[in-house]
Amino acid sequence: MSREKLHRLGIDLPLLPTTSVGSFPKPPYLLQARSDFAKKKISRDELTAKEREATEFWIRKQEELGVDVLVDGEMYRGDMVAYFAECLRGFEGGGLVRSYGNRYYHKPIITGEVRWLGPITVDWWKYAQGLTSKPVKGMLTGPYTVMDWSFNEFYASRRETCLAVAREIRREVEALVRAGAKIIQIDEPATSVRPEELPIAIEGLQVVTEGLPAYFITHICYGAFEHIYPRMLDMPVDNFDLEMSNSGLDMLALFRKNAFTKDISFGVVDVHSHVIEPAAVVERNLREGLKVLPKESVWVDPDCGLKTRTVEEAVEKMRTLVNVAKALRN
Amino acid sequence: MELFLAHHSSYPRIGDSVDYQLLRRTIGALDKGEKSEADVRAAEDRMTELALAEQIEAGLDVVTDGQIRWYDSISHLAGKLQGIRINGLLRFFDTNTYFRQPVVHSAIERREPLVVDDFRFAAGKSSRRVKVVLTGPLTLARHSIEENAGAEGFGRLLEGYTEALAGEVTALVEAGATLIQLDEPVLVRNPGDVVQAEESLSALAARKGQAELWLALYFGNAAPIYDQLQKLPINGLCLDFTYSPRLTEVVSAAGSAKTLALGLVDGRNTKLENAQFVARAIEKMTRRLATPVYLTSSCGFEYLPRDRAQLKLRHFATIKKELLGGRA
Repeated sequence: MSREKLHRLGIDLPLLPTTSVGSFPKPPYLLQARSDFAKKKISRDELTAKEREATEFWIRKQEELGVDVLVDGEMYRGDMVAYFAECLRGFEGGGLVRSYGNRYYHKPIITGEVRWLGPITVDWWKYAQGLTSKPVKGMLTGPYTVMDWSFNEFYASRRETCLAVAREIRREVEALVRAGAKIIQIDEPATSVRPEELPIAIEGLQVVTEGLPAYFITHICYGAFEHIYPRMLDMPVDNFDLEMSNSGLDMLALFRKNAFTKDISFGVVDVHSHVIEPAAVVERNLREGLKVLPKESVWVDPDCGLKTRTVEEAVEKMRTLVNVAKALRN
Repeated sequence: MELFLAHHSSYPRIGDSVDYQLLRRTIGALDKGEKSEADVRAAEDRMTELALAEQIEAGLDVVTDGQIRWYDSISHLAGKLQGIRINGLLRFFDTNTYFRQPVVHSAIERREPLVVDDFRFAAGKSSRRVKVVLTGPLTLARHSIEENAGAEGFGRLLEGYTEALAGEVTALVEAGATLIQLDEPVLVRNPGDVVQAEESLSALAARKGQAELWLALYFGNAAPIYDQLQKLPINGLCLDFTYSPRLTEVVSAAGSAKTLALGLVDGRNTKLENAQFVARAIEKMTRRLATPVYLTSSCGFEYLPRDRAQLKLRHFATIKKELLGGRA
């Protein structure tokens, strides 16, 4: 239980604190601005102004909904790996590859030694935190995921690649801590991909977080958890943000066999469905979770980033989960 | 020993230039009600033609339609079968691509062709032999769930998928297919499935007529089950060498009674292989072989950006040239 750690960091949260995984949908005016920027019709400053406007929209919206731990919504990012690859030395932009159906992303290529050139997300975190008195999470992609979701033409092995990226991501974490971030989420959705490589993912996160004064969360999703649980609890973080809803709460069976010993951000709404889950469904999912998990250790959020939904869908999904969490606090 | 060049299976459906964005944009416009299903079919046809042309231009002896029309390796086939509905997204093996999971709610039944029309289209556009690729029954069954499943659940799923694919093999052969590849990546993840694989492959082989049946394994190490694979009722084995440092040694030592398609070009990484190194590996494995040998990639090319897929395709010919000692 890491509530004491949060308290020491100056953060006191209610029972069943609500948050979101990281990304929110970009409003249409920002999508248009990104398209215009790509076609060189507008300047970088004009695009940044739109990104700031959208960030403020989401901060205000989360406050209005009553979310407890906020995110900046990642209005300035395209893809979660490509964004960091663009900001670190050693990467080249790769072409488009398919994620699923008709969705594609630019997969970067590691062609040289990876180097941190200076703060990547710090100004965005400061901007977002400056808009609210509620805590805003620092948001990064973890070294194992950056390694796994990039092509590698430089390093000799996957472990060597992961650790090289980890050393540079740590510098970004240090910069976030210096700026005042108390809760930092390091997304590692690729962790469950190759169970035999879990030790590499753990080693990478160790490099990133060791000895730093922050409450660390890692987000993992869409994988074969049965192969990495309970070993994944060795990851040096305080909170695991997991997609529970999409997998039909399957993971609860694993938690019954081996107790979940850390805090959990419990995904209660599906981010790949247009359907807004009825409150009763969300409440049932959460109640099932609370039969297995101590109430003090449970946070409530969506399964994954909401960027693929419309603004309206994302708001309504968040509204539902906030209302359910509040109702169950007592 | 003559070396042939074969495309593995999938090919990028997209590229960075506007021409290559046709399918994505058309599907996007369909979602907004601005284009019709017929427009999407036309875009799929166009992208299939481009995929075939790029394989032929690279000098491949065996080509595929690139699986341009496939939503994913699982739901594209399962979604056309009766008794199945398609559910949420799951990660496909250790890739960063996702498939929609079939939920089997009643008896699996094939009432319409799955890829026969796709084969006819590709064969009509290709001057080279067209290989048809199907995801195998084991892989389909392992990626599905059965509603109200009991202890017999998996066996029933496998039987249902096997029967459905057997019907498809019959229809493909009638349509003129001479080479059918069954992708069974689960076999290298669950080696214990080999016994069940033999039963289902026997059912499919019984329908293949004069066509060749290949079995493709990828995303895992085939070395521990190589001997068992040699006993399966298939004509060819397509193997992924990127997961197994020992596989070259195993194949060299054991030889092969089957046609071999050697997946020595990495379909998951952009780095071009050292042609000399690959040529030496082929030489070593095929020194004593009397069966046909193909050079291919470790898996489909949909995991690569198009420009890199094109480079890798052309690299096949460079490797062959290296093997022949610089002779074209």
